[in-house]
Amino acid sequence: MLLEIGQLTKVYRTGTKANDGISLAIGEGEVFGLLGHNGAGKTTLVNQVVGLLRPTSGTIRIDGRDMVADPGLARRLCSFQAQAQVPIDGLTPRQAIDLLGQLRGSSRMEVELRRERLVEALDLGEWLDVDASRLSGGVKRLVAFAMAAVAPGRLVMLDEPTNDVDPVRRRLLWRQVRTLADHGAAVLLVTHNVIEAERSVDRLAILDEGRVIAEGTPAELKARLGAALRLELVLDPDAADVPVSPFGQSAVPVGNRLMVGVPMDAAGPAVAWAESLKCAGSVEEFTLGPATLEDVYVALVGGAEAVPAQAAEVFDANAA
Amino acid sequence: MQMLRSYRLLVTWQALRKKNYLPLMMAVQTLFSLGIVLGYPLLFPTLDRTSIYLIATGAPAISMISVGLVALPQTVGEQKTEGSLAYMRSLPVPRLAYLVADLTVWLAIVIPGVVLGVLVGAWRFGLDLQVSPLVVPAVLMVALTSTCVGYAIASLLPYMLTVIITQAIVVFVFMFSPLTFLPDKLPAWLEAIHRLLPVQAMGEVTRGTLAPNEFGLPLGAFVTLAFWCILGFGVTYAAMSRRG
Repeated sequence: MLLEIGQLTKVYRTGTKANDGISLAIGEGEVFGLLGHNGAGKTTLVNQVVGLLRPTSGTIRIDGRDMVADPGLARRLCSFQAQAQVPIDGLTPRQAIDLLGQLRGSSRMEVELRRERLVEALDLGEWLDVDASRLSGGVKRLVAFAMAAVAPGRLVMLDEPTNDVDPVRRRLLWRQVRTLADHGAAVLLVTHNVIEAERSVDRLAILDEGRVIAEGTPAELKARLGAALRLELVLDPDAADVPVSPFGQSAVPVGNRLMVGVPMDAAGPAVAWAESLKCAGSVEEFTLGPATLEDVYVALVGGAEAVPAQAAEVFDANAA
Repeated sequence: MQMLRSYRLLVTWQALRKKNYLPLMMAVQTLFSLGIVLGYPLLFPTLDRTSIYLIATGAPAISMISVGLVALPQTVGEQKTEGSLAYMRSLPVPRLAYLVADLTVWLAIVIPGVVLGVLVGAWRFGLDLQVSPLVVPAVLMVALTSTCVGYAIASLLPYMLTVIITQAIVVFVFMFSPLTFLPDKLPAWLEAIHRLLPVQAMGEVTRGTLAPNEFGLPLGAFVTLAFWCILGFGVTYAAMSRRG
């Protein structure tokens, strides 16, 4: 494995335990997703890998070498797209990408060649020579991605790379993320966009309150859900009671919706049950579809509301 | 080699980032100088020769201090808050190259204001300044010390505290620092404090090299500045290299 993190713990001076015994490993050519709510400890983790923070305890190794002891080497081996906007106001995307590529040690010619490919692939041409202070947030993030990808390190860490990016260019960006991995980089992708992560990552870990509560491929995590289908009920705000699922699976409230896990062979009864609720007026509408990674995520981490006990049992973090 | 290459690229980056603010910074510095050389005679209609020279040579020192100890820490404090300083620290470049590159750009911002300040003062009072060649190292020393100390303030303190401290510095430098007057005008206790702080030394080396015929050039002032410069740089470098 290229990146190996062992029992990483970070306690801030305020006493906040942002990372609590995290162990992860990411291989070359792999896109690894790190999912979690705001404050789950994702950014703290990547900031330790890139040497901005010192771990309280634990190990970080890239290619077997100790990154905690040598943060300068960590910065050379990692390309990093931070969550904050890059400080490039006053520069054009062309200047920013070229400067970053050269700072990472590539020659001017290599950088220009690679920049041209990236700009074309991300459809950034019309903004190439516009002062970054006049660019939208989404375009700036694409430029930040291009800066991280123009001379990639062996590990590429992307912290919320698609924030503010329009749907069309998001797809272009994901394609480039995959291209980075195809060329041998290990990609660590930090996001709370579960739907996009499901399509883009090879494996993922879900962080909650600084701990890894689940890890695996999207398929493995969905299998752990135990429910092949997901019935989504839009609850009537005036209804007195939340419906109780008859399927023995998870039922997680998210806002005014209830996500109910349904076994594959119970599709018919599920539709009939939902229809009856709709007729009774406790449900406004419903949809039945295949279970997604989002269902796993919601059941594990919950919405703003507490996760029902039975769901928490289904997703026991140590079940794998 | 990597140090030089990183330095060159980072100077380009930082200069491009600040190019939109450069005219504004220069305008503010010129206004400082104008305000001092035009405003003091309004407050004190009869000024003796020494006072005129003090004002004309104090104005550029104040403009350097205003950038180094006020504008710079506020800008760096903002960069800390918005996360851009952390981004720059995540780049694969030596910390020293980043710090020296940033200081270089700040010096480039400071120097034009000094020249404008001197010209405005000489024009307003009709002075024929016999400028010493030592003015070059003196101005560089003052500018470097104020930027280093300003950087250290921003590196050590949270942003809001930096803003408050820099506001206090403005009042302290303008009203209670021997830049446009001689230290013996101050109460003894404040005079003693100023012998330890860098501001008085900044004023002494600036006026001592801009008007050597009027003022002596105390070498001790250079020593004081060197001490503060090294301290400011050291503190900033340590803060830059520190992992939280």
